[in-house]
Amino acid sequence: MKFTYKTIIAGLLLFSATSCKKELVRINQNPNGSQTAQPDYLLTAATKTTADTYWGVANSMDASLLFVQYWAKIQYTDPDRYIYTNSSFQELWTVGYSKSIVNLNQIIKLADAQGNTNYKGVALVLRSWTFSLLTDAFGDIPYKQAANIDQSITPAYDTQKDVYYGILDDLKAAQAALDPSGKAIAGDIIYANNITLWKKFANSLRLRIALRIADRDATKAKQVLDDIQTEGSGYISSNAEIAQLVYLDSPNQNPVSNLFDTRDDYRISKTIVDKLVSLNDPRLPIYASPTQDPTPQTYVGIPNGLLVGDASSLGFTKTSKPGAYFRAPHAPAVIISYAEVLFDRAEAAARGLTTEDAATLYNQAVTASLQQYGIADAAVAIYTALPAVQYDPTNYKKSIGEQKWIALFGQGLEAFAEWRRLDYPQLQPAVAGTLGGKLPVRFIYPGTEQSLNGTNYKAAVADQGPDLLTTKLWFDVN
Amino acid sequence: MFKTYKLLLAILLPFILTLRVAAQSVSVHGIVTSQADKTPLPGVSISVKGTTSGSQTDANGNFSINAKINDVLRITYTGFTTQEITVKQNEANLQIALQEAQNSLNEVVITALNISKDKKSLGYSVQGLKAKDIDEAKETNLVNAIAGKIAGVTVTNSQGDMGSSRIIIRGETSIAGNNQPLFVVDGVIVDNSQFLGTNGSRDFANAIADLNVEDIESLSVLKGPNAAALYGYRAAAGVILIKTKTGKGSKGIGISLNSNATFSTVQLLPTYQNEYGQGSNGQFSYVDGKGGGVNDGVDESWGPPLDGRLIPQFYSNGTPVPFVAHPDNVKDFFNTGVTLNNGIALTGSNDKADYRLSYNNLHQTGIVPNSSQGRNSFLLNSSFKLTPKLTLTTIANYIKDDADDLPGAYGKRATSTMLQFTWFGRQVDVSQLKNYKDANGNTFNWNNSYYSNPYWLAYENTVGQHKNRIIGSVELNYKIIDGLSANFRTGTDYYNDRRKIKVAYGTNGTPFGSYEEDAYTVNETNTEGRLQYTKKLDKDFSLDLLAGGNINTILNEENDQIAPKLAVAGLYTLSNSRDPLVSSNYYGKLKTYSYFGSAQIGFRNYAFLNLTGRNDWSSTLPAANLSYFYPSVNGSLVLSEALDIKNDVLTYAKLRGGWSKVGKATTPYQLLNAYTFTAPFGANPQQSSPAIDLNDHLKPETTTSAEAGFELGFFHDRVHLDFSAYNTNSINQILTVDVSPSTGFSQKVINGGRINNKGIEVQLGLTPVKINDFSWDITTNYSLNRSKVASLDADGRLQSIVLGSDRTVQILAALGQPYGTIYGNAYQRNAAGQIIIGSDGTPVINPTKQYLGKYTPDWQGSINNSFTYKRFNLSFLIDGHFGGSIYSNTNRTGTYTGVLASTLPGRGAQNGGLSYYYPGNNTSAAAVQASSAPNGETIYHDGMIFNGVTADGSKNNVILPAQSYYKGFTNVDEAFVYKATYIKLREVKIGYSLPSAWIKGAGLQSATVSLVGRNLWIIHKNVPNIDPETAFNTGNGQGLEDLTLPTVRNIGFNINVKF
Repeated sequence: MKFTYKTIIAGLLLFSATSCKKELVRINQNPNGSQTAQPDYLLTAATKTTADTYWGVANSMDASLLFVQYWAKIQYTDPDRYIYTNSSFQELWTVGYSKSIVNLNQIIKLADAQGNTNYKGVALVLRSWTFSLLTDAFGDIPYKQAANIDQSITPAYDTQKDVYYGILDDLKAAQAALDPSGKAIAGDIIYANNITLWKKFANSLRLRIALRIADRDATKAKQVLDDIQTEGSGYISSNAEIAQLVYLDSPNQNPVSNLFDTRDDYRISKTIVDKLVSLNDPRLPIYASPTQDPTPQTYVGIPNGLLVGDASSLGFTKTSKPGAYFRAPHAPAVIISYAEVLFDRAEAAARGLTTEDAATLYNQAVTASLQQYGIADAAVAIYTALPAVQYDPTNYKKSIGEQKWIALFGQGLEAFAEWRRLDYPQLQPAVAGTLGGKLPVRFIYPGTEQSLNGTNYKAAVADQGPDLLTTKLWFDVN
Repeated sequence: MFKTYKLLLAILLPFILTLRVAAQSVSVHGIVTSQADKTPLPGVSISVKGTTSGSQTDANGNFSINAKINDVLRITYTGFTTQEITVKQNEANLQIALQEAQNSLNEVVITALNISKDKKSLGYSVQGLKAKDIDEAKETNLVNAIAGKIAGVTVTNSQGDMGSSRIIIRGETSIAGNNQPLFVVDGVIVDNSQFLGTNGSRDFANAIADLNVEDIESLSVLKGPNAAALYGYRAAAGVILIKTKTGKGSKGIGISLNSNATFSTVQLLPTYQNEYGQGSNGQFSYVDGKGGGVNDGVDESWGPPLDGRLIPQFYSNGTPVPFVAHPDNVKDFFNTGVTLNNGIALTGSNDKADYRLSYNNLHQTGIVPNSSQGRNSFLLNSSFKLTPKLTLTTIANYIKDDADDLPGAYGKRATSTMLQFTWFGRQVDVSQLKNYKDANGNTFNWNNSYYSNPYWLAYENTVGQHKNRIIGSVELNYKIIDGLSANFRTGTDYYNDRRKIKVAYGTNGTPFGSYEEDAYTVNETNTEGRLQYTKKLDKDFSLDLLAGGNINTILNEENDQIAPKLAVAGLYTLSNSRDPLVSSNYYGKLKTYSYFGSAQIGFRNYAFLNLTGRNDWSSTLPAANLSYFYPSVNGSLVLSEALDIKNDVLTYAKLRGGWSKVGKATTPYQLLNAYTFTAPFGANPQQSSPAIDLNDHLKPETTTSAEAGFELGFFHDRVHLDFSAYNTNSINQILTVDVSPSTGFSQKVINGGRINNKGIEVQLGLTPVKINDFSWDITTNYSLNRSKVASLDADGRLQSIVLGSDRTVQILAALGQPYGTIYGNAYQRNAAGQIIIGSDGTPVINPTKQYLGKYTPDWQGSINNSFTYKRFNLSFLIDGHFGGSIYSNTNRTGTYTGVLASTLPGRGAQNGGLSYYYPGNNTSAAAVQASSAPNGETIYHDGMIFNGVTADGSKNNVILPAQSYYKGFTNVDEAFVYKATYIKLREVKIGYSLPSAWIKGAGLQSATVSLVGRNLWIIHKNVPNIDPETAFNTGNGQGLEDLTLPTVRNIGFNINVKF
């Protein structure tokens, strides 16, 4: 009797060792996701998610738009007073690396495998833009070891200089990879798969970054511009060629539109309103909404960084929201505008990096910006003729800085970088700011880096200076 | 007293008498009753010690057995102290009264795989509870009824009166995985998941709360792997074995009825201030509640004093009305909750079969208006003797949970309860809000910039949960030959949990409303076959063998659909949507094959050696690693018998010890990365890399545990002591760890990490007084656990793992630290430890986050006193947690918003505020401390100065208005971390069982009435404004409190009758 049972048990054991394994492995095949990826689907997702965070609350509305005084807060004014915690800037880091760059890397991998260099070029351009957003905001960041988890679970930080130089190399490679007569791509929600325009986008981004480092290394900047010249694909050359993501209806609506659907925390800043009013700038009715209750001024901005009570006592209905153009569901998230490219070219010329005419390009830039918002030619002519708008060759940083600031309205992160670099316009700190009379000049690293990547975080802080809003970054010379 | 002593002596006498006299056959007839209530006990096993012959009592407690003179009869019954009686002569009517075991030293307990064993043969600690320990408490969540009653068990009740509860045995052994024990009901593994969902912000109850406590006969806690190794991969966190009542031994049709009514009231709310109302900078006037007036959009209480001044308010249509305090405005929002719990059970038995059928109905209305839940449960427990050798046992438990609205927890704008009271105008009279809609059906509220009326949230934005659950099993038991039996059982737990999450049109922040339907399907099936063999080898040695196999399948499905914006108001369907539906689904399946075996070798019934082994094959691991084996060994030695200790002081002594190892697999699909899809952008599908980087080299987790202990009985069990010490190491843990997003992932599955837990547990039982009609019993439990995260990943790059977070505070498993450290922003201090104050007069935050405490308690203990006098019983249970910390966001936010009484110091001269003015009345300039102003500037009297020093070491002298002062440190997490110590009067019970003379006439067998109070009093706590026992959910990220619902006090009345 006992023997029989032993035999049965032994038999069962033998059976399980051989045939059950296969069954168990089959059960564990994941039915919830696909183990293969498609470059076009990845491209759409990476573009959308990066644009969302670039234009979203954490980086734009609650931070950079306030720093450069495009917008101001009418309630919950802590961010407008520069009160942040080290979780405030988590999103750019998390989305940048773990939603944008990692997917773009996957596209590059697939492109290499499929021999489609255009996917590689497009992914490199977008990845360079994402890395530039990160380093512009934080300074030293993981670059070489980033988004490669099999190699590094705690990526080392690279200096900001190395990051910019690396991006410039990547963009050069992207330019070489992009070929309008090469294999087609799909899933491109910026340029509808037009490779010629991507080549222009790549060059325009190179121009932007060349200038970013120009105060530190003019030689390198010049070399980049010469490369672009030689390469010959040119820059974004009309408002129709702006690199931007045009949003759709909900749930794919513009993040600003989404926010104003549910909240009412923001008004346009008094700083930009005053500036536009002083110039009688035709963009005022586009940038700002009329106050809900009629006011003598029609457009009323509020000072940045008021105490809670002081801000709300200005009255929600007696102050101006940002313009309807920016609050529309389909409003674009602009990455690089034609006007910006012209301002950049003007500055390159003013710096002697190219032989173009700075004044002419500056005028074209102002014109392009007005036209971007549909301002009629007659009004453009009046505006560009104003002495206060005219290019001042003795202080290109002021002329370009102020007009570029107006032109970049809405593009918080880019305007924040350019304001720090050009030092114009000269902004006054928030009324009840908490930085001892200073303005923020960077983001603080997400606090999770301290617990998750502590050693490298400490090295970056040692290299760059204390992890504070007021620590100047490498590119920000003055 | 003396009489009792003699009785005990009489019982113990057989132990002493070991003489054997020449055998003479006699027959013994008798009856076994319960000493406590004199009722006959059916199904008691009577065996002749040292032989395999035995008998059982019938339905009326009667038995008969043949034995020889001087044979020793062993009378054993689960839950009762074993008795041994030496046969002297023919007995026609032997009266045996069994004593109910109260964690006694010498009882029969249920062990792994539902096998009953003598407690003395076990080499590990096991502790049990009886029906009366749990069912009188009338907690709607079973887990709460265990709180404070078992050493080494930590129960954390998280939210209000309907939420979840977390239970942990001997500390957290898994760094990131599930640390809650396995629940086994009548041999069926049942699910205890908590599915929180992403929306709805409800603290949905953990699934074990479905069980009807009325059906539970006993509960046995296997503390960790030593006791539970046979349960395989899920034993590391311990096992709670539940045995439901059966119909064994009832005469004819037995009917029992129970009825309970429990009233719940808010036990604890934050202490609010009642001197200042809504507004900012002392200013407030209402126009539209969203900034149209003076600070009327502000949801804070930094406004004018509540001195009756006339100010237009939200209900006054612009007319100035007195601005006065409503001190109970939050309390008044809450109701008295009522729970009605009624049940009936029918029992019957004969020689061939027995059954018990119960029905229970529970209906609860909560303290939050409109919240309610209900439960109907049916349990049929039956067994049939198909042949003398073959027994069939079937169990079917059907549970239907229906909650139309669960109370809003957490801090979501459209669904929370406490959020709005923490951002509040202290002058608001909630009775003015009861009509929450205006004539046009729009929300009418004190604040319109952010909130909807709290009654609107309660009545319009509801979250319903409807659940159907079946737990069932079929078991066949075949006695092959004497001593050898075969057993086959298949059991399943299946439920469907459907939720409907409604947000009404016109809710502030969700103007179009939304509707979500979530559906969860959970199924676990275990099919098991085993052989058991018992043999008395010779007069000294006995052998118990067991071998078997198990097939385990677990299925989890989730299907969520959201209409993000409704097309028309008031219609909650998925097609009533203006945006495309957002849908997601998940399907998870795992399967495990196992073989197991165990052997117990007994020597002279006082020394035992137990061995177990089990091999699992799990689908969740890579093919190369999916098979793993683990053994355990333990032994016990009853010294008092081995050494023949015979004295009246030390009457029992047992040593025990053991070592075990258990392996653990993981959840499905942790091996290969899969790309996920999100809703398309126009016509472009979107596919992304997953957030978690998976790992196809996973190995099973391994937990090893060593345990040793002793049990001592003094004065014939009047004092009994049970001591355990353990040391548990869990290695190769399968962890989903947070990694720096710069890796391209936010989390990664790794195989690493070692966590060590060691601790001691002491149970001490005392019976200080025992005279005829009166006894006083004391039961105390003490436990201490020390954990340490010894390593994380293999190559030491990870310093910590994030278990949970709230704002900037993180709960970490950090290298070299105890499990569950609290990590966050701290004050910047100088070398002397003084707080550094910035030039703006507020504290500087240290840019480097600091360890601020740990959430696990240092030790915990409880003491239960029980008094019995004739038919009266009174008991009260006090339990406490000592040490550990908690971060309280209620305190933080309430400080920021000025609603808490703790923000009163400095607010106005009457509260010690300093006087100051702004030169030129320019409020942006630095304030000057003075009681008069040179140029007639306004003088303010709410000035405060932070106690600290400036960077150069001089004393800070920047004067700030109180509002800026209190807001000025709310980002310093350190300021809101408190000691989590508490002592609570957990339970008070008064019971009376009616004399049989009274009830016989009514045809009743027994009738008891009792009055039970739960959570009556927090005797001591360190954290202000909240209950430190409050937590987020049942996950590992504890030690965080964020706008949790108030703790409730329950008072209930029970009636129990048996026909």
